[in-house]
Amino acid sequence: MQETYARAFRSWQSYTPGTNLRAWLLRILTNLNIDRGRRAQRTPDSQPLEEGDYFLYNRLEAATGETEEERVLERLSQDHVAEALAAVPHDFRDVLVLVDIADFTYAEAAQILDIPIGTVMSRLHRGRRILKQQLAELSVGAS
Amino acid sequence: MSEMDPCEWCEQVLQPYLDRELDEADEAKVKHHLAACGWCEKRYKFEEDLRILVRRATVEPMEPALKKKLSELRLEL
Repeated sequence: MQETYARAFRSWQSYTPGTNLRAWLLRILTNLNIDRGRRAQRTPDSQPLEEGDYFLYNRLEAATGETEEERVLERLSQDHVAEALAAVPHDFRDVLVLVDIADFTYAEAAQILDIPIGTVMSRLHRGRRILKQQLAELSVGAS
Repeated sequence: MSEMDPCEWCEQVLQPYLDRELDEADEAKVKHHLAACGWCEKRYKFEEDLRILVRRATVEPMEPALKKKLSELRLEL
């Protein structure tokens, strides 16, 4: 299932301008009936959200004892990234896909999803946070 | 803002900076700080690299049926 989603993502990337088409692709993403699995279910509110945005780096750095960015980064496997991404709940992931992967601006994402720009920003924030929490868990274990 | 610790401020604007949503003045401020602060610079670099990994995670061969559908759509444009 995760695979299916990844493939849909791929189709997204291979596409160039044309707002309607992008919106259409987004709908494909949105309508894909994904088994979000156990991981997603225990994600959202179980961990403190008030940590700053450096927390994943800080945690990896502490776990690896490395001080070079390249070394710290090596701790993240591509599989874990894919797994973490798949565990981000739907609403948040759609925004992540639009902004982080398809390079839309906040305003464009708001238009495509038909939600206020403030909602785009908060979902983005939350989505990235969940992604990074998942990665922290997968890479260094629950703290 | 001027009273805030610059590292703390940079941590707060990390995402909008990478999204290129900061105004010019703030963007310049971040750049200025990163040039002088290796601690923050590493963390910014990490976040950028993480985004690359996220993109890479989504790049997989497209399913033939979907590919066909998309190419048909493209012709209609």
